[in-house]
Amino acid sequence: MSDISIAERLRLPQSRRKRMLVAVRAAAVVALVAAAWATPGFLTATSLFSLATTMSFIGCVAVGMTFITLSGNVMSFCLGATLSVTTIVFMASLPLGLFGALVVAFAFSAALTGLQGLVIGTVRANPIIVSMAVLALIYGFVTLFTGGRGIYPEGSETDVLKGRIGPLPLPVAAFLVTVAVGELILVTTRFGRNLYMVGSNHRAAVAAGVVTWRTVTGAYVMAGLCTALSAVLMAARYSSGDMEHGIGYDYHAISAVLVGGTAIQGGEGSALRTLAGTVIISVIQVLLLLWGFSTQMQYLIVGLIVLGVIMLHTLGESR
Amino acid sequence: MRIAPALSSPSVRPFLLLAAMVLAFALVDLGHGRFLNRATAFSVLQQFATIGPVALGLGLTMIAREFDLSVGSMMSLAGCVAVMLGAEHPLIGIAAAMLVGAMSGVCQGAIMVVLRLSSVGVTLGGLLTVGGIAYVLTGNATIGYPRMDVAMLVNEPVLGVFSLRNAVAIALYVVAAFLFLWTRLGRDITAVGSNPRAALVAGVPVDRIVITVFAVSGILTALAGALLSYSLAAASPVAVVDTLVPATAAAIIGGVSLAGGRGTPVGIAGGVLVLCVLRSGLTAIGVPPFVHDIVTGAVLLSVALIDAPELQRRLVALRRAMTG
Repeated sequence: MSDISIAERLRLPQSRRKRMLVAVRAAAVVALVAAAWATPGFLTATSLFSLATTMSFIGCVAVGMTFITLSGNVMSFCLGATLSVTTIVFMASLPLGLFGALVVAFAFSAALTGLQGLVIGTVRANPIIVSMAVLALIYGFVTLFTGGRGIYPEGSETDVLKGRIGPLPLPVAAFLVTVAVGELILVTTRFGRNLYMVGSNHRAAVAAGVVTWRTVTGAYVMAGLCTALSAVLMAARYSSGDMEHGIGYDYHAISAVLVGGTAIQGGEGSALRTLAGTVIISVIQVLLLLWGFSTQMQYLIVGLIVLGVIMLHTLGESR
Repeated sequence: MRIAPALSSPSVRPFLLLAAMVLAFALVDLGHGRFLNRATAFSVLQQFATIGPVALGLGLTMIAREFDLSVGSMMSLAGCVAVMLGAEHPLIGIAAAMLVGAMSGVCQGAIMVVLRLSSVGVTLGGLLTVGGIAYVLTGNATIGYPRMDVAMLVNEPVLGVFSLRNAVAIALYVVAAFLFLWTRLGRDITAVGSNPRAALVAGVPVDRIVITVFAVSGILTALAGALLSYSLAAASPVAVVDTLVPATAAAIIGGVSLAGGRGTPVGIAGGVLVLCVLRSGLTAIGVPPFVHDIVTGAVLLSVALIDAPELQRRLVALRRAMTG
């Protein structure tokens, strides 16, 4: 028995650096839970529900962003704008009925990001520049068609989307389902396996016979679908479609992805990690609020955490 | 035969585009006199003053095959620092802002070099952190700059088209162009961007160059941000103008390659002018401003496509498939 080390029995990573990384992460989570427990007001139901609802909108986009990051394309700068424009498309197509509008919104968002994935996947165009280009194009065309005003339709078709499933507000349920489905796709399907391979080593994936452009396009379509889910729920919540809705969501989403521990260079990570990242950031924000820190302090601390996590990640790399 | 390589050189191509664009606007506007006048030239140079230094800093990091995302929020932070500290002496505000920019650049560059991290990751963290500092400093509010005289002074037209603000930007480009031509710095940055390992073997201090370009990028962005806030007599932690996208667009229109190792300050100046002429020209002939967004996006997208590493291979494969 004695020749099996504790590390092996606990299935801890062999490399010392990786073990250290796991230890740092675990300590951080324990500290966070303890802080939340000790903070009066945190564990009340209202506080938890409002925390969960606001985090769900970001969380859905973050799961979408996870697919892009995993595919080795870092991040998209236009998911926030995609979210906003999808709220407008959804509200504008409500005359088709709720179901029709949902179909239009999801198809629109998936096509918008999928086309970028196609361009990036086939000719390996720089993903950051492509997403910046689309960001400018979205703002240009939306102003062309709407004159820069949001749309606030009358009627109550979207009220269904404001409901609850059992005790859970619909956005929370939708977020949890998105994480579960995303994780299943990543772990069980061939697309998921290919995605990890393309993200960790593009050349090896090509050599192994993976049709890389299809995988990359798939990742962007997934991002579009997740963003659309967040968009329709948000449009229903605010009863409007507006370019204001998604401002900053690209940065919130990538923060959640990275804090969860998905590697920025791709090929390593999961939807569950993004769930963890989203929860961690939201809990920290609520704690800061309850401790009397201003909202602006939250921006700084989240920024520092993201920077710290990116630096910490080198611990896990074998060099 | 000699002309062809000159035309495709990254320092010349943007100016051909610029000439074509000026000609096109002049033709569209023929007889109206809305485009070829002093007001348009002044507005072009004022925009050059805002985007120009940022594009130069960002472009230098791109030539070294890195990317500085943090310029987006450094612009706002520098404005806030300058406005808060520069009420007594405007120069102290500018110096403080530039110091903050240099520190942010050196820190980010050092993190990349020491931990061997990609610049996109580190500067993404930098972008969020720098933005957060700006929010904390200002308490999430727009702060006014009490010195209207300074605000007037930096924008006061001199000799028709110049102002203190755009003269600073032009001077920065002149200095950068000469440093690139006459010192090792330009060659070193280009060498690091084309092949870091070969550059190291050839005796280029790669780590020091990486830290230097990020420091320069921070300083130039901070200077542009400070002057912009003085000229608006206000600063806000929320970005007043979106700088990251136009600065990136300007750098790549200016012949900076996304793969690194190609581009010059003169070319970047041309790229910035193309964008500024486009915006001022569209406004002058009465086209709504959203067209500018669409054109910027279209240009960025086409450059991303043209620069894509596998475009050539795909086209050859396509041609082969077509001819059977």
